[in-house]
Amino acid sequence: MVRSKNDRIANAVVFVILFGCGLVAVFPLLYVLSVSLTPFSEVLKNGGFILVPRSITFDAYRKLLMESNIPSAFGVTVLVTVIGTILNIVITALMAYPLSRKQLPGRNLFLMMVVFTLLFSGGIIPTYLVVKSLGLLDSIWAMILPNLVWSFNVLIMKSFYESLPEELFESARIDGAKEFRILLQIVAPLSVPVTLTVGLFYMVGHWNEFFQAIMYVTDRTLFPLQVVVREILIQTQSPLENVDNMTPSETLQMASVIMASLPIIIVYPFLQKHFTKGMLLGSVKG
Amino acid sequence: MKRMKAVSVMLTVIMISCGVLAGCSSGNSSDKDANNAPASGNAGSGASAASTVKLDIIETGNNLPSPDKDFIKKEIDKAIHSDLNLTVYASGDDYKNQLNVRLASGNLPDLFQVPDRASLKQFVEQGLLLDLTPYMDKLQPVKDFIGDESMKKTTMDGKAYAIPKAPNIPYNTYWIRKDWLDKLGLQPPATTDEFLNVVKAFAEQDPDGNGKKDTTGLTGSKLSTFAPIFGAFGVADPNTFYVKDGKLVNSLYDPAMKDALGFINKIIATGGVDPEIMANSGLQHQEKAIKGQAGIIWIDWPNLSKDQFTEQIKKVNPNADWMQLAPPKGPGGQYDGPFDAGGTSGMYAIPKALENNKEKLQKVFDLLNYVSGKDGSTLVQFGIQGTHYNLEGEKVVPTELMGKEAGFTWLYQFTGRPEMSYLQTKFAPQSKYIEFANSQPRIQILNGFLSNPDGYNPADAARFIEEEFVNFIYGKSPLDGYDAFLKKLESTMNFKTYMDASIKQLEELGYGK
Repeated sequence: MVRSKNDRIANAVVFVILFGCGLVAVFPLLYVLSVSLTPFSEVLKNGGFILVPRSITFDAYRKLLMESNIPSAFGVTVLVTVIGTILNIVITALMAYPLSRKQLPGRNLFLMMVVFTLLFSGGIIPTYLVVKSLGLLDSIWAMILPNLVWSFNVLIMKSFYESLPEELFESARIDGAKEFRILLQIVAPLSVPVTLTVGLFYMVGHWNEFFQAIMYVTDRTLFPLQVVVREILIQTQSPLENVDNMTPSETLQMASVIMASLPIIIVYPFLQKHFTKGMLLGSVKG
Repeated sequence: MKRMKAVSVMLTVIMISCGVLAGCSSGNSSDKDANNAPASGNAGSGASAASTVKLDIIETGNNLPSPDKDFIKKEIDKAIHSDLNLTVYASGDDYKNQLNVRLASGNLPDLFQVPDRASLKQFVEQGLLLDLTPYMDKLQPVKDFIGDESMKKTTMDGKAYAIPKAPNIPYNTYWIRKDWLDKLGLQPPATTDEFLNVVKAFAEQDPDGNGKKDTTGLTGSKLSTFAPIFGAFGVADPNTFYVKDGKLVNSLYDPAMKDALGFINKIIATGGVDPEIMANSGLQHQEKAIKGQAGIIWIDWPNLSKDQFTEQIKKVNPNADWMQLAPPKGPGGQYDGPFDAGGTSGMYAIPKALENNKEKLQKVFDLLNYVSGKDGSTLVQFGIQGTHYNLEGEKVVPTELMGKEAGFTWLYQFTGRPEMSYLQTKFAPQSKYIEFANSQPRIQILNGFLSNPDGYNPADAARFIEEEFVNFIYGKSPLDGYDAFLKKLESTMNFKTYMDASIKQLEELGYGK
């Protein structure tokens, strides 16, 4: 590789720009983290702006863990995320695999039906009616089943399966394998990247579960994390109704944000390498 | 947020089309609902459902503990043999979504908060609400508790469709930094002219003594920042109705409004007013006050004098000393802003479908009567006797646990509370502020009684009025244009229809005759 002076300058410029972009992304996170660790009086003294905490306290976190609904909400969210994601992946794969086989009769019709739901949806009230008549209201299933399969993810998985060489399937069939065995023992091990990618999509979706919970769940013990965090974040503005309310301090609010996003931030880097690979395979050959 | 907005727009559209449908179907489905409710709830309570009735209640609010820690729920359940399932929504938008979906799908709560008078009108027109007029004798304790006058607030065409909370009292006043006044050798302003001078001095003469010109004289949220200034000219906030010299007027048409705007323009021209007042939302103005950036603020006493906030203020500046300021005197008198005679801090309605479920309906009445009666009301105000408060004679003395545990009990105050005694008990240290705010003269406005006529969009009109007012007070358009503004308001916003309808409604209630 030939490296001229110009190249190096260009590189430097690119680095500086990227570094700037990175900084912009890190900045709000750092701010949230710092405020969550600083005593609120310190925050106020600095006019509400702190990047590097000078004194550190874990009071806010302690308070959230001891006195709020966050721990139980955490449990609900983990439960929904784990059960939900597993079901999502299984069902999505079971749908995507047949659709990827060219010999499936009526394949185009089924594909059309999948794509159709990408563009049109039933609307809130009809969906609510369906959820209600299935008896799902006020259960964690209301947060899992209505969005069990995302059409988009089906298409990603389908494209990935289509990219597997046909010869594999043929040889498996010659060895006497039926479709289920092919899916489980040939396709599944080969499609780890796409499974992880789609799994991550689903997982983040479940972790951020908010709207369905607000709509279908009225039992407080079943509220997921995001709903509870939002409750802490919204400062109630009308003192007429609730003079009694303690407005949560900014420190407390920021601590709740950290607690809600930290787990997913931790998971992300580990899945990232598969993530890009899976996405690319899906999109390029789709 | 964007998505939420789109959702609510979509909802409204769907609501309109489904409203009719829901109206028809809710009657049939109500029996089914009654059977469904225990089944979909937890199985444990379903078993004992023979004697207890499950009541679904939704409202806005927050900090409700989980049912096992909710001692108010337990006490009420014990008292009226019910199984309350209260759900609260932190944001008004979420609440409206939830309410609309449930109303449209026939999965009705048994008691719910009506967001505002416009929604009340809409629900009434869709036939969703139970007319409470024939049941009023069953609700006698509620009536005694909130007062006969109060029922006017939720009456439409002579029928009562909801229960308003007991009347509240005004909280807002100007607050001023006493230590800043002392530092600059100024007296608390008593007239509008003195007020203007103080605002100017606070901004220019470095009252916090840090050598930087980083303070503003006056802050607040939106146009209400100037409520007592409007009051000093004898007008109430923009687009409010009140009786002046025996006649009904709208503040926009009050001749004194122009003078008020002219004077506010003068205050702003001193440069002493927080330039962000129109952008201050939520409690941003309060934050500025706590951080020591502003010298005068228009705010309610809880947000500046509750222990939590005084502590914060002291931590920022141990010498900070906020005091309440009586409204400055002006050419039109001395009024500390408006107070809405028709205003209520909440109203609760019962769905029409409950008509067919006599047992449940009676239970809702029991609940409302209970929280209005002596025992129940004390419970939802203060908590449990012996735990959260002790009685010394008739006097309620809070224990330490009240502050810790009983902060959420207001969520169960479906019919409100006796405001003054409640606040005096719960906020003993703030007692004098409560008293002060309550005793200031106010212009009694009547907007709470109004329902908007068809063809009048209150949100659009309010936005237009606010924009034009900002132009006037910031000197962007000259006051000569005020009459043209009124003309434009009438021609583009259907304001005439609104005026006529409003005057008619108020005259029917006996105002301005």
